Amino acid sequence: MTYLGQVYAIIWKDLLIEVRTRERVASMGAFAVLSGVLFNFAMDWTAVRPQDVGAGLIWMTIVFGGMLGLGRTFMLEASDSAFVGVLMSPAPKDAIFLGKAIANFIFLMLIAVFIVVVFSAFFGLDLGPNPGLVFVVLALGALGFVALGTLFSALASGTGMGETLLPILVFPLLVPMIVFGVSATSRLLAGRPVSEVAGNVRLLGAFAVGAVAAGAALFRFVVEE
Amino acid sequence: MPSATIRNAGTVLAVVGVLGVLILHWLVFFWVPTEASQGVIQRIFYIHVPSAWVAFLAFGIVALCSAVYLWLGDERVDQAAAAAAEGGMVFTTIVLLTGPLWGRIAWGTFWTWEPRLTLTLLLWFIYLGYFMVRSSTQDPQRGKRFAAVVGIVGAIDIPLIHISVLWFRSLHPQPVVMNVEGPALPAEMLTVMFVGAGSFLLLFGGIFLLRYSLGLAEQAIAVRARAAQI
Repeated sequence: MTYLGQVYAIIWKDLLIEVRTRERVASMGAFAVLSGVLFNFAMDWTAVRPQDVGAGLIWMTIVFGGMLGLGRTFMLEASDSAFVGVLMSPAPKDAIFLGKAIANFIFLMLIAVFIVVVFSAFFGLDLGPNPGLVFVVLALGALGFVALGTLFSALASGTGMGETLLPILVFPLLVPMIVFGVSATSRLLAGRPVSEVAGNVRLLGAFAVGAVAAGAALFRFVVEE
Repeated sequence: MPSATIRNAGTVLAVVGVLGVLILHWLVFFWVPTEASQGVIQRIFYIHVPSAWVAFLAFGIVALCSAVYLWLGDERVDQAAAAAAEGGMVFTTIVLLTGPLWGRIAWGTFWTWEPRLTLTLLLWFIYLGYFMVRSSTQDPQRGKRFAAVVGIVGAIDIPLIHISVLWFRSLHPQPVVMNVEGPALPAEMLTVMFVGAGSFLLLFGGIFLLRYSLGLAEQAIAVRARAAQI
């Protein structure tokens, strides 16, 4: 089996489990809608314009909702020791990591698109003249986030503390993603020209590439017995 | 090197370091001239700045030792990383306590989301994660490996965190000692700053060696206990 075939097999397995259980995407989706409901009552919308806070709300909902799903990346397999089987397969550890991270990325992007649609409807957000670019920015941020989240989710599930450890490990590392992602998104929502977000997008890309590379390189030290 | 030698060296360094810190405080309170524009509050810099240097140096040691540990699997390197992380956490805490005291007077606020403040706070939390991971596994080997991963990922992310928080405008005083044109401080202030750096470095070295030899001793006991069981 080729390397890509191994990555693909892991992705397919995770997608299939998700399609059959609908556990993670459903809980993240419900979380997103309900967060929107609470945000509506948490803010005085006569004092702030949705365009000004929309980007921040979208990103924070992606992060908090994403933590729900990412924290469970290895739960199902850990409970039946099924992950031991995955580790014993001839697939190299970084292929397993990439498969897991890409599957998480697909789930998170589904949720991110859903959040943007729901928040647009709830708060009357206008995506500006470049709606496509908004999703590119979200995708780059989400990629870095799932890479770190997948690595530390594997790590946290190997400790006695489990999911409670995950935010402590991941949140400090997410600062670049939030800074670059929110500032790019809020400029796009405000209808600023694309040239103004180019720097942010590049750094967001650097964050994503760095996170994926670090995760792929270090994953084997986390799952090794 | 036998652990007794390391322990003795650590004790010597720590004692000299503590003496240095006492001398530093005398210099700060009675000897160095008061800075003209900021007044008396500026004296806290002689504690704050050298602590920050040591804190970042310690984090460099943690990252380096973590990488070497994952590469070679040598227990001693892991003990060194853990010892540096403990010392680093102490000095990061000093930085985070002295900074706001100065900021309250100079900026009128205890805290602001300025790049270096944010970076130091996040560094403190990365250290926290490092210790939590280390102690939260049943198998100590696994905890050590996990902690090393946290140390390395933290070190990779730190430059990007720094760039990202620079995105916000900086309030923090610019470097006056470590800048390209050479130190821009009067000789007396520079002397005190270096006394501070020297004493904190010695103190850190002392704590580091003491903690390191303690780690080696703990490990030796664990090995002996396992042998006795068999």
